[in-house]
Amino acid sequence: MRLLAAAVAALALAGPAAAACLHPASQSKLESELVCLQCHETLDESSSAFATQMKADVARQIALCRSEQQILDSMVAQFGPTVLSTPQTHGFDLIAWLLPIGGVLLGAAALAAGAWYWSHGRDPRDPPAPPALTPEDELLVDEELARF
Amino acid sequence: MRILRTVTAAGVLALLGLLVWSVVHRHGPGVAVAVDKGETVLAPKLDLPRLDAPGRLSLASLRGKVVVVNFWQSSCLPCKQEAKVLASAASYWQTRGVVFVGVDSLDLKSTGRAYMKRYAVNYPNVRDALGSTYPNWGVTGTPETFFIDRRGRVVPPHIISKASRQNLDEGIRRALRS
Repeated sequence: MRLLAAAVAALALAGPAAAACLHPASQSKLESELVCLQCHETLDESSSAFATQMKADVARQIALCRSEQQILDSMVAQFGPTVLSTPQTHGFDLIAWLLPIGGVLLGAAALAAGAWYWSHGRDPRDPPAPPALTPEDELLVDEELARF
Repeated sequence: MRILRTVTAAGVLALLGLLVWSVVHRHGPGVAVAVDKGETVLAPKLDLPRLDAPGRLSLASLRGKVVVVNFWQSSCLPCKQEAKVLASAASYWQTRGVVFVGVDSLDLKSTGRAYMKRYAVNYPNVRDALGSTYPNWGVTGTPETFFIDRRGRVVPPHIISKASRQNLDEGIRRALRS
């Protein structure tokens, strides 16, 4: 009987110890990284019934000592990458990261090219310089100026 | 400067192309609107993975039978309230050549399966994880129920919200007559 009581006590102590994870995933972090597909808000900002179910599922998986990546992967496996609040950094989603950088670089290049053109460039279609005055015209101009 | 103009023109053309593509591919109001006006229209495609079994289920494979399509979600209260009515009607009509198909949408697999077990859902169910069938069917929420005749056409009525046994029987009889 004593042996049985000791075994029960050992099991009772060992249970929570086994359930405690070394590096448990953060529920709040995961809730900010997952989107409720019904209301299109992150789980931490949504109180819809679907979001509540997803939060409960995240909590269940954390209790099973699954890592943050494993939990995210399980959600992606069920709903696809649209369940993530930020696009993935590989595959087609990579475009979402590269496009803004490309846009900024392209804009900077366009600005630099424009600045260079305005400061150095010369449009060949600019009107040619007026012809130099003839000696007679210069004399007339001098006479006119002398009156002032 | 010519390069800049070319790049700008290409950008404008690309954006214009995107706009045209978006307009062309925009979904219509879905069959629900036509059915609610009393029209009989061809059922949209429904080909999804099974929730309750491996493999897929396609509506096209059920051509020749009257099909009751019920959209549901495990977190929806009216769905829970109608679940047993649907299961009972499915058992009754099964022997008369009528097939019930459940579409569990925007739901976790685990909660969907738990729902099926809890409410003794005894007919095939498919899973639409992202609610991608909503636009073509014109589903605006759950539950919604459609009746499809033997020729694959959706016939009125279209039940929005909780279905009663009387609603179901009337819809099925109308689909059988169609």
